[in-house]
Amino acid sequence: MKNIGTFRLAVGAVIVATSVTAWSQTREAASAPGASAMAASGSAAPATGRKANRALRRQVYNAIAKHKEISAGNISVVAKDGAVTLNGTVTDSSQVGTVAEIAKGVPGVTSVTNKLTVEKPFGGM
Amino acid sequence: MKLKLSSAAALVVFATAAHAQSSVTLYGVLDTGLLYQSTSAATFQPHAPNLGHLYQLKDGGIYASYWGLKGSEDIGGGYKINFKLQGTFNTANGRFGLADTPGTTAIFNQFATIGASTPFGTFDAGRQIIPMIYAMAETDVRGAQYFGSILTAWLGVNQAAGWPGTSTNAPIGALYDSNALVYNSPKFYGASLALEYAPGGVAGHFQGGTRESAVLKYSNYGLNLSAVYYNGHDTNPFPLTYPAAPAVPATGLANNRFYYFGAMYTIAGFSISGSYGVGKNPANTNTADFEMASGGLGYQFNPRFKITSGYYYLRDRNHSANHSSEVAVGAEYNLSQRTKAYAQVGYVDNKGTMNQTIIYGAPVAPGVSTTAAMIGIRHTF
Repeated sequence: MKNIGTFRLAVGAVIVATSVTAWSQTREAASAPGASAMAASGSAAPATGRKANRALRRQVYNAIAKHKEISAGNISVVAKDGAVTLNGTVTDSSQVGTVAEIAKGVPGVTSVTNKLTVEKPFGGM
Repeated sequence: MKLKLSSAAALVVFATAAHAQSSVTLYGVLDTGLLYQSTSAATFQPHAPNLGHLYQLKDGGIYASYWGLKGSEDIGGGYKINFKLQGTFNTANGRFGLADTPGTTAIFNQFATIGASTPFGTFDAGRQIIPMIYAMAETDVRGAQYFGSILTAWLGVNQAAGWPGTSTNAPIGALYDSNALVYNSPKFYGASLALEYAPGGVAGHFQGGTRESAVLKYSNYGLNLSAVYYNGHDTNPFPLTYPAAPAVPATGLANNRFYYFGAMYTIAGFSISGSYGVGKNPANTNTADFEMASGGLGYQFNPRFKITSGYYYLRDRNHSANHSSEVAVGAEYNLSQRTKAYAQVGYVDNKGTMNQTIIYGAPVAPGVSTTAAMIGIRHTF
C-alpha cells in the first residue's frame, strides 16, 4: 500500500510538472492571437487623454513588476494614446524582448517602441 | 503491481534527470585604455608629494577587467544551488587584484561563493561584492564605475579615513567582504531587503573582525531607491606604513559605520540620480567623520550611444579645510553587443589633505585640483 502511495505521489508530481509546462506553452501560443486582437481593438479606438496615458503606464509597470527578475526601476515607460515607448536598461539581452512582449500583452497597448539597452549589474555578468 | 512499481521507478529516474539540469559558464571582461592625468602621487598619504602629470596604459576605464566561472544546479521545487568564482586582473601588467591583506593579491578577489536560490530569497556564503555597493551603483547615473562615480567618491572618503589603498579592507563601508553570509529577499511590490553578516573568525573574540549590514531597496515605476546601513569591527587594521608598522590586533571594536541614501529616476532617455552618505568611526569620531553627496544626469541618445555625468562632493566634518568636489563626464558607444568604446573626462578640486581620485588605481596629489581624460575599449566574453 505504501508503494502505491508513492506511485500516486510520483504520478501526481508528473501531472503537475506536465501541466506547468503545458501552461507556459499555452501562454506563449496565446500571445500571438492576443496581439492581433489588441491591434484590432486599438485601431478601433485607443484610449486617449493624460489620465488614460497615466493609467496605461501604470498597468504596463504592474505587468513588468510581476517578473521579479526584471528591475522596473531602471525602465522608463511612456504611454501616449496606446503607443508605449520603452527606455532605460535591463540586466540581460534576453530581457530586452521579454519586456516588450510584456508591454504588448497589456490591454490597451496598440504599439511598442523598444529602446531598451543592456546594462550588466555592477561587477557581474 | 510490479509493473506499476517499475513505472514509478522510471518516473523517479526521469524526474531526477530533469532536476540535474545544470550549467557552468566561463566569462569575463577586458577593459583597457589610455589615461592622461595632470597630477599624481605614489600613495594616499595626506601630504604625498605631487609627482607631476601622468600618461599611462590603464586598466579599467569603465570597470575592472575580470574573469570568472559560475554555475547553477536546479535541484527542483524552485531551489537552485549556485556557485561563483570571480576575480579582477590588470590588463596593463597581468596581475591579479587586491586581497584583504596589503601587498597580497587573490585569484578570486571578487567572488568565491556557494549559495542557494529559493522561493524565499537567495543565500550566498563566501567572499563577495556586498549589498551596499549594488545599492550605490543602482542609484548613481555613472553606475559606480571606475572613472568618476559614487565608487571613487566613496573610496575618497576611505582614503581620507586612512585607507592605504593596498588592500580591500576599508575603514568606511566595504566593497568586498570575506567570510560573508548574505541574504537577498524576493521582491515584494518592488521592495527588497538584503542582509549581511560576516563572522570574524578571530580567536577569543565573538565580535572581533565581524561585519553586519542591511540594505533596503525599491525598484519600480522607473525609480530606484536605496538605504544602506553598514557596521564593521576591526576594519582596516593596517597602518599607512604597513608592514613597517604592524597591524592593529582585533579586539571587537566597532570602528566602521556607513549610512547611505540614494535615488535614481529614469524617464524617456534621461536618468537623474542623487545621494547622501555619512561614514565615520563610531568608536572614535575624531579620527573619521565624513559626509558625501552626489548628483548625476545621463542621456541615452540611441541604443548604441549614451552620455553620463556626475558630481561628487566630500566633506570632512572634523576639519572644515578638507573637502573635495569632482565632476566626471563620459560617452560610451557600443561597437557591437560585446564591445564598447568610451571617452571620459574628469576634474577634481581637492582641498586640505583630500585626495579623491578621478579614476580608481591612479592616485592624485592631495590638496590641489587635477584633470584627467581617458579613451578606451571594453570587451566582454
